[in-house]
Amino acid sequence: MSYTVTIEPLGASFDVAEGQTLLDGALRHGIYLPHACCHGLCGTCKVRVVDGEVNHGDASPFALMDLERDEGHCLACCATPEGDVVIEADIDEEPDQRPIPLRDFSGRVAALQDLTPTIKGVTIALDGDGLDFQAGQYVNLGWPGLAQPRAFSLANAPADGRLVELNIRRVPGGEATGYIHERLQVGDPVTVSGPLGRFFVRKSDPQPILFMAGGSGLSSPRSMILDLLHTDGDTRPITLVYGARNRAELYYHEDFVELAARHPNFRYLPALSEPTADCAWDGATGFVHDAAWTLFDGDFRGHKAYLCGPPPMIESGIRTLMKGRLFERDIHTEKFLSAADAAQQSRSPLFKNL
Amino acid sequence: MNTQDTRRPSGKKLSLKEKYAQMTRGLGWDTTYEPMDKVFDQLGLEGIKIHDWDKWEDPFRLTMDAYWKYQAEKERKLYAVLDAFQQNNGHLNISDARYVNTLKLFFTGITPAEYNAHRLFSMLGRQFPGPGAAIACQMQAVDELRHVQTQIHCISQYNKYFNGLHDHTVMNDRLWYLSVPKSFFEDAISSGPFEQIIAISFALEYLLTNLVFMPFMSGAAYNGDMATVTFGFSSQSDEARHMTLGLECIKFVLEQDPGNAAIIQRYLDKWFWRGYKVLGLVSMMLDYMLPKKVMSWKEAWDIYFVQNGGSLFNDLSRYGLRMPKYWEQSVAEAEHLSHQTWNAFYNFSGAAAFHVWLPSDEDMAWLAEKYPNTFDQHYRPRIEHYRKLQAEGKRYYNPSLPMLCQTCQTPLIFTEMDDPTRTSHRQLEHDGDTYHFCSDGCRDIFAGQPDKYVSAWLPAHQILQGNCVEPGAEAAGDPGADALRYFHVVAGQDNLDYEGSPDEANWLRWKGLDKMPPAAAA
Repeated sequence: MSYTVTIEPLGASFDVAEGQTLLDGALRHGIYLPHACCHGLCGTCKVRVVDGEVNHGDASPFALMDLERDEGHCLACCATPEGDVVIEADIDEEPDQRPIPLRDFSGRVAALQDLTPTIKGVTIALDGDGLDFQAGQYVNLGWPGLAQPRAFSLANAPADGRLVELNIRRVPGGEATGYIHERLQVGDPVTVSGPLGRFFVRKSDPQPILFMAGGSGLSSPRSMILDLLHTDGDTRPITLVYGARNRAELYYHEDFVELAARHPNFRYLPALSEPTADCAWDGATGFVHDAAWTLFDGDFRGHKAYLCGPPPMIESGIRTLMKGRLFERDIHTEKFLSAADAAQQSRSPLFKNL
Repeated sequence: MNTQDTRRPSGKKLSLKEKYAQMTRGLGWDTTYEPMDKVFDQLGLEGIKIHDWDKWEDPFRLTMDAYWKYQAEKERKLYAVLDAFQQNNGHLNISDARYVNTLKLFFTGITPAEYNAHRLFSMLGRQFPGPGAAIACQMQAVDELRHVQTQIHCISQYNKYFNGLHDHTVMNDRLWYLSVPKSFFEDAISSGPFEQIIAISFALEYLLTNLVFMPFMSGAAYNGDMATVTFGFSSQSDEARHMTLGLECIKFVLEQDPGNAAIIQRYLDKWFWRGYKVLGLVSMMLDYMLPKKVMSWKEAWDIYFVQNGGSLFNDLSRYGLRMPKYWEQSVAEAEHLSHQTWNAFYNFSGAAAFHVWLPSDEDMAWLAEKYPNTFDQHYRPRIEHYRKLQAEGKRYYNPSLPMLCQTCQTPLIFTEMDDPTRTSHRQLEHDGDTYHFCSDGCRDIFAGQPDKYVSAWLPAHQILQGNCVEPGAEAAGDPGADALRYFHVVAGQDNLDYEGSPDEANWLRWKGLDKMPPAAAA
């Protein structure tokens, strides 16, 4: 048995299991709610229930007083939903986020392309009028016989939503990605639910943009960069630092080289972490964060940074940016987390989103 | 049916943050009659550089009228519970009168500290030019005053029935072991504004507060003390703001200037160690003083410092900070801390305002289970030795005065962690004098600010210098008796063993345990 929790003013929804607290559910779905003691005593995580019923659990009568209970407040750290609920939390609304309702689509595989030895490009033609989304968001992809749909970032610009592109890395031993790499055929029917996620460009912020991507984490930045340069004709300085293991794993390389040649405000820096002699590589070597550090001479002030890739790459990126004096308000990340990664995280309330 | 979304009729609703920003805009301004650096004259003294106070994000968004409304309801609730406790003779429902000795320690050690915290935040509110920081400090100053008052009301309830609680303010000023928490707060309050806020809001309120509140409040609940549970909950509901202030402050300062991190690290090293040393008293409360145990000190330290603190410092390491100096030692010492602290109080209970007692067989089984690496090997034999002496009528009291650490003022009662038979004792020469310390951590703190710590008022030294005689009273010539009178400890009533104390006699009488079992009716 699970219930749907909707968080206003974000409009974000997620499911929680019976007995799971609102806070636990939100954090596990990447939505930060302020919190501190986590056992109902301090009141940091107070939210208002706009619709539905919750069980207050062990909320202290001092941290959540009767008058507040009467007004519909609860403590997210110990409140469990008794049905579907809508809560209002004191979190920042993003002026640049477009509220796009989640929709389910059917479609067919239109093209398959081996982008690298481990990353497959999957193009899907959607039925109907197509998917409206913001560059940086992701979809849940399913097909007949797959029990649980899998999340993949959209790699194309949102201009035409009827064809969507996904860059899918093969996870060793992964059931779904193994299927995609070995058995998926052009013409196969698939289902797509989207758009999902809160990773998008804060376009109203005028600062120059730095994208840092690793591996198949290139998909979101690619969508965002194409959207900025082609759709918006944005003229602010935009930098992409992209890291791959070796030359064979570096994909869309020629496209970005060409894009940089055509747009003087766009700078592209690829870096290989394990180049071999076969790579014939004379570009930057090392990790993305080190390449970015060198390129910016250790000073990232006055930028907006968007990071996309596996958790260790994101963590190194955050540390490097902070060392170069760029902080949480200007750093946005999309982590590729497996369920195991999310469960292991033990974080303090020091950072809200990082 | 009207399907229009009516939640946002005008298209967009202001978020709580935007509403608050609109309401409070323009509250901070630059002074013109006097230059800003004269008005806020302590800000530059520590070397911390702040370039833009507007970057301070007020995390509370609490208006004064909402603040009063919430606090008033907390008060109503608390005093309703205290009244009920009083009317129903709640003191008779506690697990055992021994339990009240943890309260004696808390009320004489921590309650006056809350008052010092009130003073500290009043001064801090004056020192910060940013309105968000100033108002947060002002509210916390009022919170701390409220905590003192609620605790004093609890004291007056328990003081009717138990000894040792009749003079908490004088005791806090004079009693030797209470100089440990007292000197902690006086050290903080005499620091620069940023050091004060790191010391109290961050090191104490965020990093270490759970170690005082959680085990202590759970201990109160386990032992039937609903009055203390209630004032604890009431206080802790203010902690959300206090902890958030600490976190907000440290982020703000670290992001303002790259040079600030080294200063903050120095403060964290110092205040972690200062706070940890005060917690020695908590370790003894948990392991030796609660008739019904909650968790061991070692378990509490593992959960609240090693795990919670560890994830915090992992996050802080993104700013280039590391775990506080000597934290590994605190983990190693967790195996020994409570046993050695208790031993000192057993030795010196003639000069304390609370009672001690030997652990029972059941207590020792629990200690052996919680401390499998140390208790049976090092501490059980000593307790059994004390027990034997007591059975022979030769209860051991230490007749000397202990050497105190110049920094934390704890007696030198702890051992080297790699050798539990050798006392940990450090020395440092300064200006021709030798100073003594309980640990490397305390020696380092002294070395950083020797001029501050040479002026420490060390109770043992003061007694020997003849400075601990009750004003107006005639010196008895016996420094021990004079000191007790000076402490306002009533000899034979407030001090010594629980067994044979007036507290015990009263408790047995109230509970009807002093009578012989009624003889079977003929």
